[in-house]
Amino acid sequence: MLASIPPAYLAPFERAWRHRELIRAVVRREFISRFRGSFLGPAWAVLAPLLMLLTYTTLFSITVPQLSAGMSVMDYAGGIFIGLIVFNLFSELAYRAPILLHEHVNFVKRSIFPSETIAWTATIRAFTYAGVAFGVYIAFRLFTAGTLPLTIVLTPLLVVPFFLFILGVVWFLMALGAFTRDVAHIMASIVPVLMFATPIFYRLEQIEQMSVSTAWLLRLNIVGDYIEMMRAVALDGHVPNVFGYLIAVAVSYAVFLAGYQFFMRYKSVIVDVI
Amino acid sequence: MSSEPAIRCSGIGKAFQLYAHQNDQLKQVLFGLWKQFYKEKWVLHDMTFTVGKGERVGIVGRNGAGKTTLLQILCGITAPTKGAFEVNGRIAPILALGSGFDGLLTGRENARIGAAILGLSRKEVDARIDDIAAFADIGPFFEQPMRTYSMGMIARVAFAICAFADADVLIVDEALSVGDEIFQRKCEKYISDFSRRGTILMVSHDLAFLENLCDRALWLENGVVREIGEPARIIADYRAAMVAEEESQATGAA
Repeated sequence: MLASIPPAYLAPFERAWRHRELIRAVVRREFISRFRGSFLGPAWAVLAPLLMLLTYTTLFSITVPQLSAGMSVMDYAGGIFIGLIVFNLFSELAYRAPILLHEHVNFVKRSIFPSETIAWTATIRAFTYAGVAFGVYIAFRLFTAGTLPLTIVLTPLLVVPFFLFILGVVWFLMALGAFTRDVAHIMASIVPVLMFATPIFYRLEQIEQMSVSTAWLLRLNIVGDYIEMMRAVALDGHVPNVFGYLIAVAVSYAVFLAGYQFFMRYKSVIVDVI
Repeated sequence: MSSEPAIRCSGIGKAFQLYAHQNDQLKQVLFGLWKQFYKEKWVLHDMTFTVGKGERVGIVGRNGAGKTTLLQILCGITAPTKGAFEVNGRIAPILALGSGFDGLLTGRENARIGAAILGLSRKEVDARIDDIAAFADIGPFFEQPMRTYSMGMIARVAFAICAFADADVLIVDEALSVGDEIFQRKCEKYISDFSRRGTILMVSHDLAFLENLCDRALWLENGVVREIGEPARIIADYRAAMVAEEESQATGAA
């Protein structure tokens, strides 16, 4: 077969496109099996974020007033909610990625299943839930503030690079997790720490007022950058700093490619060791 | 291009990495460039053969001879440690039947995913799903979650998917033994029909069936090709070797 070989920076897309029917079928399966046998079914995808939003709004606006300094309760709650949507996406997949191959061991070992697509389906699923949660946010915002910032149309420009970043992380953790179960434990201890190093319940500018060096350290956390940019476009109505945005895109794309390369390099070994 | 073989293996070898501790796997990934943390266990050595388009080749050999590993390599499930191979055309692997199924989903839903794994588009699946159901012939169970199935029913669905995958190369691993008599007949008939239009590489312990079906037989022993050629001759040799071994074991035990 004389298939033309795509350049390395496009290879992951070419593979995914070739297996698009499979990815679609598996994503569909994941949703079906998740809601089968539950009475409320897909309504849970809306109820869970709604409950979270209400809890955080009431709890944090009452108990931690200094964090919300200068903001209305609803603005502050919306900010937390956006932060949690983005961070939960990351954390859910960081917890799940190391065990993904173990979950699909029959597929991987006994059929001609292209195991790199598992990362796509897991990530698409998580982003779908996040999308529903974002819909809840939009409804909440329209209900409480009456309007949405115009900059919200820029959201896809943030979602796409963040998606690629997450996908790269999933590939990396998936491959590593196949070799040792420790990765799952490591993630279980790192992610909660990372949660507080991420501007979810506070904003970076509040830290900057206190210590510039800490703020710079926190800037290295790319998940936090995405949260801040998400808040800018979906809540504050600002266009994010273009330079910062381009750096985030470049880093995300690099993580995406590196994760893919790492996974593909060890793919054939993984089948034998898992 | 009829001159192009369906399967070509040149010097394929496969070594599994045996680790004394599970953690050595991670060390190998991290520090593998400097030190080797595993022992190699070679299960296939220097396999070289070609299978022509439309040819039917049967593989015989004892348990652990490397038959399944060879088929897994050709299907692309596991990579050879050395050597190269190519398979031209779409493969339908009938390996461990039904091990990739999800017990929560119905037979129909699993069939859709199984067909997608084999490379069928959604339209192709839509057009064939009723044929798959008819071939599997498990009645209303097709709409039930697969955890309620018996082994034989799972095998029926799995075989039915492969039967309608429009494959050029059928790779079969002694998979037919779980079905009942009627279904085994059906599969055997399908395989003989398929042999008129496609290439078959098949492992089986049903030596009479292989002898009937195949153009060539390949005898695998301890990871090397011991003999390859005319099925009647190879299978007779293989049978004789089995009998001889049985006798030597019997005398050894006595």
